[in-house]
Amino acid sequence: MRTLVSPLSLRTPSGRIIYWTTLVVVVIGFTGAFVFPLYWMVTGALKSPDEIAQIPPSFFPKHFDLGVYKDAWEQLQLGIFLKNTVLYAGGAWLFTLAVDVTAAYALSKLRPFFGKLILGAMLATLMIPPMVLLLPTYLVAKDLPIFHASLLNTPWAIWLPAAANGFFVFLLKRFFDSIPRELLEAAEIDGASPLRILSSIVLPVSRPILGVVSILSVVTVWKDFVWPLLVLPETDKMSISVGIASLSAQMPQNVLIASLVIASLPTILVFFVFQRSIMAGLTAGSLKG
Amino acid sequence: MAATRTLARRPRSAGSAGGGGAGTRGGPVEEDRDQTGALRRAVGRNLTAYGFLCGALICFALFSWYPMIREVILSFQQNNFVDPGQWVGFDNFRTVVEDPAFRSAWLNTAAFSCLALVIGYAVPFVLAVVLNELRHAKAYLRFVVYLPVMLPPAVAVLLFKWFYDPGAGLFNQVLDAFHLPPLSWLDSTSTALVSLVLVSTWMNLGTGTLIYLAALQSVPGDLYESAELDGAGLFRRVWHVTIPQTKLILLVMLLLQIVATMQVFIEPYLLTGGGPENATVTVAYLMYQYAFNFGDFGGGSALGLMLMIALLVFSTVYLRVSREAEQ
Amino acid sequence: MRTTRRGLSLVLVVGLGLVAASCGSGEEKKPAAEGSADGPVTITVGCQPPKSNPKERTAWDADVAAFQKQHPNITVQSKDAFPCINPDTFQAKLAGGTQEDVFYVYYSDVQKIMKAKQAADISQYVGNVKAAKDLRPDVMGVFKDGDKTYGLPRNNYTMGLVYNRKLFTQAGLNPDSPPKTWSEVQEAAKKIAALGAGYVGYGEYSAGNTGGWHFAASLYARGGSMVSDDGKTAAFNSPEGKAVLENLKKMRWDDNSMGSKQLLQWEDVMRMMGSGKLGMMIGAPDVVQSVNNDFQGKFEDYGVTAVPESEGKASLSGGDGYMFNPKATPEKMKAGLLWLEFHELTPGQGQFNYARSKEQGRPVGLPIPDLYGDTAPGQEIVALRKQYATVPVDHFAPYVAEQSNITNKLEPPKAQELYAVLDVAMSAVLTRKDADIDKLLRDAESKANKILAKNT
Repeated sequence: MRTLVSPLSLRTPSGRIIYWTTLVVVVIGFTGAFVFPLYWMVTGALKSPDEIAQIPPSFFPKHFDLGVYKDAWEQLQLGIFLKNTVLYAGGAWLFTLAVDVTAAYALSKLRPFFGKLILGAMLATLMIPPMVLLLPTYLVAKDLPIFHASLLNTPWAIWLPAAANGFFVFLLKRFFDSIPRELLEAAEIDGASPLRILSSIVLPVSRPILGVVSILSVVTVWKDFVWPLLVLPETDKMSISVGIASLSAQMPQNVLIASLVIASLPTILVFFVFQRSIMAGLTAGSLKG
Repeated sequence: MAATRTLARRPRSAGSAGGGGAGTRGGPVEEDRDQTGALRRAVGRNLTAYGFLCGALICFALFSWYPMIREVILSFQQNNFVDPGQWVGFDNFRTVVEDPAFRSAWLNTAAFSCLALVIGYAVPFVLAVVLNELRHAKAYLRFVVYLPVMLPPAVAVLLFKWFYDPGAGLFNQVLDAFHLPPLSWLDSTSTALVSLVLVSTWMNLGTGTLIYLAALQSVPGDLYESAELDGAGLFRRVWHVTIPQTKLILLVMLLLQIVATMQVFIEPYLLTGGGPENATVTVAYLMYQYAFNFGDFGGGSALGLMLMIALLVFSTVYLRVSREAEQ
Repeated sequence: MRTTRRGLSLVLVVGLGLVAASCGSGEEKKPAAEGSADGPVTITVGCQPPKSNPKERTAWDADVAAFQKQHPNITVQSKDAFPCINPDTFQAKLAGGTQEDVFYVYYSDVQKIMKAKQAADISQYVGNVKAAKDLRPDVMGVFKDGDKTYGLPRNNYTMGLVYNRKLFTQAGLNPDSPPKTWSEVQEAAKKIAALGAGYVGYGEYSAGNTGGWHFAASLYARGGSMVSDDGKTAAFNSPEGKAVLENLKKMRWDDNSMGSKQLLQWEDVMRMMGSGKLGMMIGAPDVVQSVNNDFQGKFEDYGVTAVPESEGKASLSGGDGYMFNPKATPEKMKAGLLWLEFHELTPGQGQFNYARSKEQGRPVGLPIPDLYGDTAPGQEIVALRKQYATVPVDHFAPYVAEQSNITNKLEPPKAQELYAVLDVAMSAVLTRKDADIDKLLRDAESKANKILAKNT
């Protein structure tokens, strides 16, 4: 598709030089700015604590000690934490999609009364720093009104609040708004129920935004710290960010860094694997203004 | 786009796509029937809509709205969480406003937001524009730009603490290599806030870049062609085509960025502890101090409420102005 | 805040819910019945060592088993949340009722908690704790508000000067004769910093309220006070307060012996100590323990002496202990006190089981906690330490020698808020060469007076 720079100008010699220079600069710049920390993390874990504290730091560890990763795994019980976090993030992802997509669809296409009010109320939740809501939300998780159950130390304490995300509802609604009415009305005429319309028409077209929301929701839950600290205090149920942080004061620096590397890998992997579909979707879809 | 085109080719969409179905037949009796039919349909549609909204309404009610209400209540109480809370009217607000750190917290927060706009708002957009033009290494670059977002904040903190070390940190060493004088980064009242903005930008620009990339995909190519034919250079094309086409998402992201940066907490908490000399105390950091270090949850809630109201007012004004500007 | 009707029905439902959901903890269902203390009781106790500290954890579990055998009607449920007290979660746990029955606190939290009535008054029951009468009065004083007692101590230490013996030797100083005056400290710091880039002679905090905390510690060691005796006005704008800041200013800017990185907090300085590049810092012997535990420093490399020029003066008391959930029943309080006595306060047992620690290869011989001073239990503990010592005890000798001359001084009221105010002064002096110390102290004083005048 034609973009800012015309394909023609790229074929001229000067165009080509500029293009390739820009490309190289960008690749090097990005690698330096964004990949370097990963490199530093991975090698930092391989250094001894003395070497890490060294100033100026060394670029290459003096001795390779891959055992530190094994140490981190065992001492910090990373296996359990990872398993827990996969459960929490996975469930949160499903719930977020289920709850927020249906809500956005309703607000965008079905347009009930008070729709604007509801959307406004959802967006208002973004205006208040989450930290202050921590305690009242905790009280709710501890003792659900009406149902009177405690969600503490259960995955529900992560899944349900994760779904209450105004930003995602907003993004999804924006996207759904831009789906042409005609498409849906065609299906309506054919007698499709709203649910059918959602699943067979809206969702397939929305892959890009679904991809973005998916990765954002997984990453948010993965990185979240204070909330899981509160609602999952049992060490066996802890999420990985809490587990590492709570044990970090006891750990030598290099083991800590190794555990951070291990903790980052799953999100990176997920992104890597899904990048194709997310990004491919992004190029075909429309988040048009 | 491919999907829409396929669907549009279905023959049946031709005539009956107009209107909502009924109402094309006319006649008084039928109109009545149509009206009750329309009413029934509206009710039915509303019921379905609320059915779909069920899950969200429950989740939001339990975990967002109800806590917000409780928080408002807490800001008017002194609570030790053992005995029932005591109503103190506006005392908490008074306490917080009279705190000498109150004024600097708001100033610092506003400064942070502004700096973050200057440094961090344009960057993701520019990156997205550049990335959109490149034909090679796209997957790699997209992955890499999002990397900082995926890393645990603890990594970013450790990393930047080292970068910013005035003695042997990477940045000062680089400056040294270029024979430039070293900066005190986090340790000086004049540079601390900017240093934090850099960290915050680095950690978050991936999200913005990806969202803008998606938006850029939908700018029709012919607009660029015609602009070029009219003799517009690169920058003019960006100004007259790219930006107007993505205006809405740009405006929304601007608002969201302001709202988010006004709540900045993690960077001052982890990197500077509010210093030096309270130069990096933000409203959210002060809130944390009150609620958790000083044991004054009422004060913390009062601050939170003030911040929320400020942001709500700002957002309403912003949305109204941008809507007017559009018309 | 709720209407009575809604409140009542809520209580009813919650009550039913609790009964229905009680997970077989063997808890007494009769609320607060003054029945015999021999009925079955379960208490939750916090700060069990985490699994990543296997030796401490085994020791703790063994103690729990032994205790339960001795008191068959008491069940101890250990909670191993780490860190043991976290400001982010403390309030929430209290509000949600998930706070342990016997919960861990730092000294610096105690006043705040007592004022907010977030701990139970155990005055009636603490008389049964035999060991309590031998505790140092200033240590017990930490947990008292007037005549009422709210908790018991576990750890107690006074500040000293921690120094790296290896660096001293390297710099040509005598590790067995550490600095006794501040000018000697300045000299030593200069020599250590001269060892090369990255070597810091003297390290000090200046962020996250820790700067103010150490300001208070240094102030007390010079004989100054943070607040007036009635607690209503600030008293740190004094010659002693000025001396603290002047000393730092000199070392930072004239001698350049404090390194260029400031705004340091606990972990930063610990890391520096552990990496062997930091010469001296104010701290208690628990610093050495942390450095060994978490940063792989070796005991042989460190020594502790008294804060220079502090004899006859005071020291900011630091330590930790346990308090009781305000909702705890009398049975729980009694049971909790029995546990605390068993585990924290008895020579030869629990935390003082040095024989076992030695067997496990854990360090024995640090002069802390110092709960008993010179009383009989105190002497017993000192003897046990000597008997089973595994660390070079004489490295701590200069510190111990001074302890009898120094009084424990409590933290000021509204400690955290005052520390936040003084962080400004500390960070100014350490990051700005032209910092005006008089002005800084004046500003801090007026802010502190406002804080102390608030009656919340």
